[in-house]
Order: sequence, then C-alpha cells, then structure tokens
Amino acid sequence: MKLSRYKREISAALAYAALLMAVGVASPSFFSAANLSDLALNNAPVLLVAIGMTMVILVGQIDISVGSQFAVCSVAAGWLARSGVPVPLLLPCVLLIGASMGAFNGLLIGRMGLPSIIVTLAMLVFWRDALRWTTEGAWVQDLPTNFQWFGLGQAYGQLLIVAVAMAVLIGFSWMLRNLRQGRAIYAVGSDAEAARLAGIEPPSVIFNVFVLMGALTGMAALLNAVRFTSVPSNAGLGLELKAIAAVVVGGTAITGGRGRLLGTLIGAALLGTIGTALTFAGINPFWEKAIQGAIILAALAADRLIDEWRMRNQQ
Amino acid sequence: MKPAIEHSLFLIPPWYSRIFPNNEWVLLIVLLIECAIFALTGSNFLTAANGFEVTRLVVEVGLLALALTPIVITGGIDLSVGSMMGLSAVVMGSLWRDAHLPMPVAICLALLVGLLGGALNALLITRLNFPPLIVTLGTFSLFRGLAEGLTRGIENYSGFAPQFLFLGQGYIGGVIPTQLFVLLPAIAVCAWWLHRTIFGRSLYAIGYSSEGSRYAGIPVTRRLGFIYTLSGLAASLAAIIYVAHLGQAKSDAGTGYELMAITAVVLGGASIFGGRGTVLGTVLGLFAIVILQNGLRLSSQPAELAGILTGTLLIVTILLDRFSKMRSSHRRIHTIAEKIEVKNSQVAVLSAVILIAALIVAGGNWLLAGSMRQEIRKLAGIQNQNAVPPTAVRKPVIAVMPKAKGDPYFISCRKGIDEAANEQGVEVLWDGPTDLDPAKQNEVVEAWITRGVDVIAVSVENEVAISTVLRKARERGIKVVTWDADSQKDARDFFINQATPQGIGYTLVDEAARILDGKGEFAIITASLSAANQNEWIRHIKARLAEKYPEMKLVAIQPSDGDRDRAFAETQNVLKVYPKVKLVMGIAAPAVPGAAEAVKQSGRTDVKVTGLSLPNMCKPYIHAGVIESIVLWNTVDLGYLTIYASRALSKGELRAGDSQLNAGRLGRIEIKGDQVLLGSPFIFNRQNIDRFDF
Repeated sequence: MKLSRYKREISAALAYAALLMAVGVASPSFFSAANLSDLALNNAPVLLVAIGMTMVILVGQIDISVGSQFAVCSVAAGWLARSGVPVPLLLPCVLLIGASMGAFNGLLIGRMGLPSIIVTLAMLVFWRDALRWTTEGAWVQDLPTNFQWFGLGQAYGQLLIVAVAMAVLIGFSWMLRNLRQGRAIYAVGSDAEAARLAGIEPPSVIFNVFVLMGALTGMAALLNAVRFTSVPSNAGLGLELKAIAAVVVGGTAITGGRGRLLGTLIGAALLGTIGTALTFAGINPFWEKAIQGAIILAALAADRLIDEWRMRNQQ
Repeated sequence: MKPAIEHSLFLIPPWYSRIFPNNEWVLLIVLLIECAIFALTGSNFLTAANGFEVTRLVVEVGLLALALTPIVITGGIDLSVGSMMGLSAVVMGSLWRDAHLPMPVAICLALLVGLLGGALNALLITRLNFPPLIVTLGTFSLFRGLAEGLTRGIENYSGFAPQFLFLGQGYIGGVIPTQLFVLLPAIAVCAWWLHRTIFGRSLYAIGYSSEGSRYAGIPVTRRLGFIYTLSGLAASLAAIIYVAHLGQAKSDAGTGYELMAITAVVLGGASIFGGRGTVLGTVLGLFAIVILQNGLRLSSQPAELAGILTGTLLIVTILLDRFSKMRSSHRRIHTIAEKIEVKNSQVAVLSAVILIAALIVAGGNWLLAGSMRQEIRKLAGIQNQNAVPPTAVRKPVIAVMPKAKGDPYFISCRKGIDEAANEQGVEVLWDGPTDLDPAKQNEVVEAWITRGVDVIAVSVENEVAISTVLRKARERGIKVVTWDADSQKDARDFFINQATPQGIGYTLVDEAARILDGKGEFAIITASLSAANQNEWIRHIKARLAEKYPEMKLVAIQPSDGDRDRAFAETQNVLKVYPKVKLVMGIAAPAVPGAAEAVKQSGRTDVKVTGLSLPNMCKPYIHAGVIESIVLWNTVDLGYLTIYASRALSKGELRAGDSQLNAGRLGRIEIKGDQVLLGSPFIFNRQNIDRFDF
C-alpha cells in the first residue's frame, strides 16, 4: 500500500490531530470518555448523511435537499410512532420514506438527466415549505415511552446508534472498494461516457445512489430522533452544507470519481469537533463559523500544497 | 452535458429563439399567469404602488442574481454572496459609528471589503484552481463568521442619516423607489456587457469549454477572476441598499439570499454547466419568484405555498427545457443553429422586453388596472372573500404578524387569536417570515399596506428596521399595534405588553437566584448569537446580577440557533467544561427542552434547568424534576388580548388616554399610557403546569 495514495486523508487527519492536540493542551478533560461518547453520538447522524453524500459526489452529482428530507423523515418517524406503529417497524418505514424522496431525485437526475444542483435546490425549498405547511411548526410530542432509545435504555441505545453508524460506514466502505456496484460509482463519476461504453448504465447507477442517499438520510433522522422524547419540526437546517463540507474536507473531489469514506469519517469528525473544542478551549463561540470556513479553505490549500511539493520532489 | 456545437452556424434562427434562446418565454407566460391569477384573487395587486413596492423588494437579490449570471454562464457558482452582505453591512456600520468616518467613506470602504472578498474567491478559484462550489462554501462560512465575530453578534448599527436612508426607503417623484435607479442601470449595463461586448461573449466560450477558450486566446483566469471579484462587489452594493432599506446594519444581513439569487438565475434558463444564460432570463426568473411571494401575500394564501410552487416551477421549467432540447436535437441537425449571435436590433428588442417586463411588473398601466378592477371584482365576486356584498356589514380586517410563523411560541399565541376572532367576528390575516428575518417582516407589512387592512398587529423582530414601514402604514390611516415585542413609540398606537425585556430579564434572574439560593455558577443557552430580543434580555440579566446578586456568576453564553438538538449538544459541553455550573438557563423556547434532555442524559441530578419556554414542551421534564420552573406569560391570552385591543382600536372604542379595556374572558385590562398590560410574567412549576395546554 502506497501511503501517497492516502495523502488527502492524511492531510485531513493531520489537521484533526493538530486540533485535538491544541484542545488537549488547553483542556485535558476534553478526552474524558463521557465527552468522546457524546461527540460520537452527536455526530453520528451527520456522518450517516455524509456517507450518502460521499457516494453522490463520487458519482459526480450533488444533493442539497438532504436537510429538508431529514426534517420530513424526523417528523414522519414521530407521527408513525405516535399513531401506534411498533418501534421495531419504525426503521423500515422511515428508510422507505427517505428512499422514496431519494428515488424522486434519482428519477429526475438519473433517468431524465436533469442537473442535480437544480433538482435538489427545488426539493430543498419544496420539502421544507411543505413540511412547514402541514405541521405549522408544531412539534411531535406525547410519543410512546419506548420511542426514546427504541426502548432499550440510554446505555444500550447510545451503543446501538454508534454501532449502526460504524457498521454502515464499514459496510459501504467495503462495498465501494470491492463490489462491482461500488466500482461502477467511481467509473460513472470519472467518465460517464466511458462507463457506458464499458457496459455500465450511468442512469441506473445515479438513480441507485440517490435512493441510497435518501435511505441514509432517513436512517440518520430516525437515529437522531430516538435520542429525544419529542420531534421538532425544524430539524436538519443547514445539514446539507455540513455534510458536503465533511465530504470535501475528507478529500473527495467535488468533480467526482475520487475519494474514500475514510476521508469522510475524518472530515465529519474534524468539523463536528470544532464547536465543542472551542467551548473546551474557552474561545468565544462567535468565531466558530469563521474558523469552520478557514478550516475548509485550509484543507483545500494543504491538499494543493502537498501536490506541488511532491511535483517538485519528483523533478 | 455540454451542448454539442453544431455545424450550421450561419443559419439565422427565427426571431423568438433569438430573443429567448433558452425558452425564457415560458417564464413570461408564467409571469402573465401569475399576474392574472393574483389580479383576480389578491387585493390591490394590479396597482402602480404595488408594482413599485415589488421592484423595491427585488433590488438586493436582483443585484446578486445579476452578478451571478456571468458566473453561472462560465460554469461556476458563488455561494458566498449572502454572507458577504452580512460582512459588508457590519463593516460599513462599524466604520461609520465607531470609527466616526463620514458615510461616503464608510460606503466606499464597505465596497472595498466586497471587492477584497470577491478577490479572495477569485484568487482561490483561478490561481489555485479549486472548484468554485467548494471555495465559496468555505467563504460562505468565513464571511458570515467574520461578521459575527467582529460584532460579537450583538452590535446593531442604526441611526443613519436620512439622506442615506433615502437610498433604501425614499421615493423619487413620489412613487418610484430610489433603489430602482440602481437596479435598472445595473440590468442595462449587465445586458449590454454580457451580450454585446467581446468580454461578455468570451464568458460563454469559457462556459462551453475553458480549455478551448484558452487555446483561442481568451485569458481565462483573468476573466474568471474579474467576474468573481465583481460578484463580491455586487454583494457589498446590495448590502448597502439592504442597510438603507432596513435602517440598520447587523451581521445577519442577507442570510439565505444566495439561494434565492441562484434560483432566479437557473429559473431564467441559465445552464448550471455553463455556456448558456441571459440577463433577460435572470430578470424574468427573479420577478417570477418575487411576484409569486407578493401575490400570495396579497391574496392571503399561506406563504409556504411560495416555496412549494417555486420548487415545482424550477423542476417544470428544466423539464420543459430538457424535452424541447431532446426534440429539437432530432430535427436540428440540419436546420437550426445552436449558437446564436445577438445583433444591435436584437439588443434593442431585448432592452424593450426588459422594460416591458418591468412595466408589467410595475403594474404601470394605471388606466387598465383602474378600469379593470371593477370588472374583475364583478367576475371574481364568488371566489373573492373580500368582495363582500354591500348590504353585509364589512368585517374589520386585522393583520397579525408573528416574528416567525413556524415557532411553537407563536403557534400557541394563534390559538388565542383565532378564539378572539370568532368571538368578535373579525377577519384575521396571519402571515410573517418563516424564520426570524427583519427584512421579511417589512415585506409583509408593505404587502398589507398595499392590500388595505384595518389594523396591523406586529410582533417586532427588530424595532429600528420595522418602524419606518409602520409609520408609513399609520400615514395611510391604518391603525397599528405591536404585541409581544415593541417598535419605536411613534410607529404604533398601542403596545400589547406582556412583559418588558427588563421584566423578563429580572424575573429570570430572580427565579435562578431562588433555585441557586443566591450563589453559584450558571450558564445561558440563547437562540442565535445575533438574536435581538435575547441579547436585550441578556443585557438586563447581567444588570440585575451586578445589582442584586454579586455571588452568582454567569460563566457561559452558548448559541442554539433555535435548534433543539444544538441546544442539547451545547449543554453537554457546558456541563463538562464548567463542572461547577448548577443551573442552565435556556432563553429560547426549543433551548429549554434541549438543555433538559442533556442534563437528564448526563445523570447530573444536582443541575437544574430553567428559562423561557412553552409549558407543553417542558411538561415531561418538569414532572421528572429536571426543569425546576419556566418563566412565561399565558401566550394564548396574549393573542386573545391582541385581537380585542385591535378591534376596539379599529372601531374607535380604544383611544389614546384610555385607562381600561374590556377584553372578553380576560375581563378589564389595565392600560398604562400607550401600553395595554397583560400582567407580569408567570412562573410555571410542577404544581401549576398541568392547568395549561399550549
């Protein structure tokens, strides 16, 4: 295994290590088990969405409607639970709802060949306002007591959420690397025409990726919702930008065809830690957004600098 | 996905595809349909005054969309423009107020900031060769973050000179909004530049193939650098107009404007892959969206429909485009040329169409509008709820605006509003921004003035921003009350006062002191860091602490952005970083249950939660003993009283100087000066919470 193949992941990991070191020096209690498990739990939903987003970006598309889909799935999960759907059945139901929203995107983008940024921009406003219209902003309350943590209790529930997120990450990572369907995503993202000539059907690959994106968004929404006893109607605002930023900081090329889920994991961890790290380091939260933006740009610049440095060395 | 270049370049396409190379006529039809529908269903939609109001609203987004058009044509995108507006606004405000620079200098420096920000994007995109989407995603966070960091979220610059405010609020010749004289030349110059100059045409070439353009001798990096810098400049110009329009500069200026600008551009037929797009299309796209919003408001349809319809419209137009492309690509091979050259005569037509579109939109046809109104009214008598037969007694129309429509707090107020409206037989219009947004509040009030209502009742998000437009409403003879949060005193007749910021702040601290026994550390979870009301409360909280409870210490103020999940995560952090904190105070409705859940999951039974929230959200936690108490007033009663006071005002039963108001089931309510008093804030705890359901 050549290390240089992983240079993008490595530069993100180095940035993450630097951040952890800085906050570790400022406040060693950051590394307490309780804090690390809270961080993992709070970022698991973003990670799940970012996994889907990685595949969408790998195939050369983008999805900015995930935040609105997330909200729709959260509220749907709440309504289903309140109307008496047994808790174990919630997951398939919500996955189905998410997958159908994703399938609609996939239909327009994959089958019809419409540009993904416009389709998902339309769905971003559509789902958000449709949800506002139906809920009128009301939260879903009075959920059955076994809704929280699927009725497993806090410790097991937390474990389950992190375990599911990790399993999904590893599963998709393996699929992208080893399965024909996974490799097809890279092929279509690199050059759709070449992929078509090689016997792959780009429309159906793109369609499938969007279905998966929707299903993963649904899963993220449900796993996030069960951490609480009620469901707010405005969940997931700005989630799409968080997920895209995590994917990009993790070294996936926005033009498609290049990137790994390992990088996405590092990217999601890096961006998800900044806010907490600032609080621990005693820095004013006013600067959080500025620092986030700077880190995205710095990750890009580092990437380019490493490239140039390697070029010089080769000469 | 780039359009294939055809061989038959020399055939002249028919006139309609020269003016509308990307099927922009679809939008013209959409616009006409919108106008027709809203003329029937809306009140005073087709009037000159409304037309000009609409153009006032499009200026800021219009400038962004104009600058975005060339960027999209080259296949790029700029997400950072909305954030740049925030940064330019606060830079201008702080230079003017804190550095005491004269206004023109501050404006120039703000423009310079826009220029520099744009140049930063340009540098990263052209020199380092990064994808524009990612670069501007980064600067989207960076610029907004800088604006928040520089102002600590709290600074709110206002009190600008009238000459400056004239730019955003004034009328030239009595009817034409000043900023129209910025937008129209901008459209004209942009159209000429993009379609008529070598520079502009070269952008299309870059969009088709940037590599090919380079071989053809076009300096691609310089051209790209120029348009991204221009976009930054346009954003700061938009910021200046925004500030003049609202009369205040704050770090949240222009939030979400980038999405609206992008929507306008792609709706206008520009291809996101580059190489296609016209200024005419962008302008039509812009008006299609803004007229939709304006028309829905005037015909009292839910504002949420705007998003649903805009989304549908976007998909339908690109689908149409797709099908017409597919159809013509079968035929075209030998007939129609793909590449379209624009001639002088066509530019004349183009400008004429722009003007006509503006005129349609401006409802410029006084005569037609006036004479048709009668006819339309007759025709629409059945559908139109407002066209009540002359024999029936006209119900007073009371327009009520919350700070944000989807906020559970205001939804509970609405219960009381509907209850009182039924009892009193008044018609209530309920509309407002979907998220906290002072600019949107102004838009809604403007629409109500145009529509013509009897009373406007506003829960004010930002007192400086809204007061100008409320004064305008009073000049037109509309009664104005404020409820929940007040405007400037001369901008309204009465304030339905449920609690002053001071009262809220003091009650919160007193309750915290009771729980903590007057000593110890506590933390606050606020809404967003730039939320005006919360910052006002925090000021009073600090004052009360300094004055009365020296042994209590406020150790942290963390933002929740009105998001329950964020409040949860922030509380977890606070509990770990400040182990001595024994009380978490949430001062936004979703922050309290979020904080309570975090405390509950941490297992810390020694930490209590209090704050300002709604009983129903907090009930389970209050019963579980996690939330000690919450401070609030009866929001249902607040809505109820607002309607009673508004109706009395419209009937002339409530006049300045009165000392009492008869308010239905609430009995006699005290009036003090120009304030109708609901009573002091109420403390909900385990004993009394089950008596309330809102």
